[in-house]
Amino acid sequence: MPRTKDILEIKGLSAEIEGVQVLRKVDFALAEGATVALIGRNGAGKTSLLRAIMGFMKVTAGAIAFDGRPLRDVKPHERPRLGIGYAPEDRRLFSTFTIEENIRLPAEVMKLGVPEIARRLDGIYAVLPELADLRHRPAAGLSGGQGKMAALARALMIGNRVILLDEPFQGLAPVLANRYAAALRTLRDSHPEIALLITESNPSLLRNFAERAYAIERGEVTEVEGGLAASSLAAAGMH
Amino acid sequence: MILLAALDGLAYGSLIFLVAVGLSLIFGVLGVLNVAHGSFYAIGAYVAASAVLAAAGMGLPTWLAFPLFLVSAVLVGVVVGGTVEALLLRRIYGKEEVLQLLVTFAVFMILEDAQKVVFGTQPLFANAPMNWLGTVEVFGIFYTSYQLILIPLVALVVLLGLRWFLRRTRFGRAIVAVTQDREAAMAMGIDATRIYLFTFIIGASLAALGGALSSATTSLTPGIGSGMIVLSFAVAATAGLGRIEGAAVAALMIGLGRSAAVYFAPEFDVLIPYLIMVAVLLIKPEGLFTTVQTRKV
Repeated sequence: MPRTKDILEIKGLSAEIEGVQVLRKVDFALAEGATVALIGRNGAGKTSLLRAIMGFMKVTAGAIAFDGRPLRDVKPHERPRLGIGYAPEDRRLFSTFTIEENIRLPAEVMKLGVPEIARRLDGIYAVLPELADLRHRPAAGLSGGQGKMAALARALMIGNRVILLDEPFQGLAPVLANRYAAALRTLRDSHPEIALLITESNPSLLRNFAERAYAIERGEVTEVEGGLAASSLAAAGMH
Repeated sequence: MILLAALDGLAYGSLIFLVAVGLSLIFGVLGVLNVAHGSFYAIGAYVAASAVLAAAGMGLPTWLAFPLFLVSAVLVGVVVGGTVEALLLRRIYGKEEVLQLLVTFAVFMILEDAQKVVFGTQPLFANAPMNWLGTVEVFGIFYTSYQLILIPLVALVVLLGLRWFLRRTRFGRAIVAVTQDREAAMAMGIDATRIYLFTFIIGASLAALGGALSSATTSLTPGIGSGMIVLSFAVAATAGLGRIEGAAVAALMIGLGRSAAVYFAPEFDVLIPYLIMVAVLLIKPEGLFTTVQTRKV
């Protein structure tokens, strides 16, 4: 099988928070257009790995390359410009802005033109139609599920190469989780070129969805052979 | 009498507002309580007065003082404010509050002495701009147009301008985003370092503008900065730090309260701002205009 190019490549990455090592020699690769799951318990280092990719962690060893280019000297606020969209845990929307102002913000910061922003917004509302009706609502009044979708939309606004989703299903009621998964499938079909990295503590939510899976435990990352099939998860000691 | 006190308080409250809103903006965005903020007020006053006197010495027309006020305020904001932020404050973001207070207090002390070295300790008086604007008569009492109209007008323009800037411009929205969540804002491509620098310059320039406007109304002596910083702290605390409209209302309350005291109970003149602050904080410890944080889930 010909191997596609890696858009994101992490080698021997270690990072710490206030002297405590939270990532240990992580090797990780994300191929162009791939969907990869990163599975681990709370505190295992999922968020730390995503924050390291975005440039918010103190990296002590190793390297991250994006599209073959080392990210070490790329400042955090310049990384979204490479086409990396990030939907953090807890949504972290700007509460005094409306939903659409939240979604537009990264594009406005990048000084994209009005027609380009409108074009991208249309594409986003096609994937997440429920947001179109809520667009003028203040972000502070959103429910958990709506907030997660708005955070995904905001990541999509600039993430045309890679999108990092930190525990998108966390705290969602089953109906909303299904709705969110459906949106991700639509996104998968309409934007096959975007690579998705999704973290989750419950692997069954991403079954039939991610083609590759990594497990993270105490800051160490291992690839789960055979992806998220139940048998391979059991073999890796997860359920 | 009440009306007279109110008119007096208007100019005074407007000046406090200009200083306090800068302080409040800086705290809201950078998270640093800037003790050196009063120095920008004082330096703004000295630079403006010196510029006005120099212009008069060259035989230039008096109206030139008003653009000079604006120029000196921006100059002080960029040169002094920009230097303080880039060289010192940048190193202490996110550190313990005690350290931040000590560092900005040290900056305040340094700037106080620098003022004495540069501008001397002799009182400086440049009231030509105030006299040039003439007076208005209200119920038989003459007020200077400068204090009754110009200063409150500038404060109003600043209030409306800041609101418009923060809500309607791309740069202003980026400032609001950084205020709410620095890391999430950076993940949207916002250069937080640049936002911090610009916010500090804006805040410092507003304090310097307040100083520049005050320079025509009083004689400048060393120590004017420390009086102003305490008052603007009181205003910012009363309003809730980081609140722009709140700072306007609180500045007006304290300005009016103080001038009412001058008329009715002069012995409480100095005390009134703090009595108002304590009364507000007893009832609403988070400040008048701070709303409860929005829910997370």
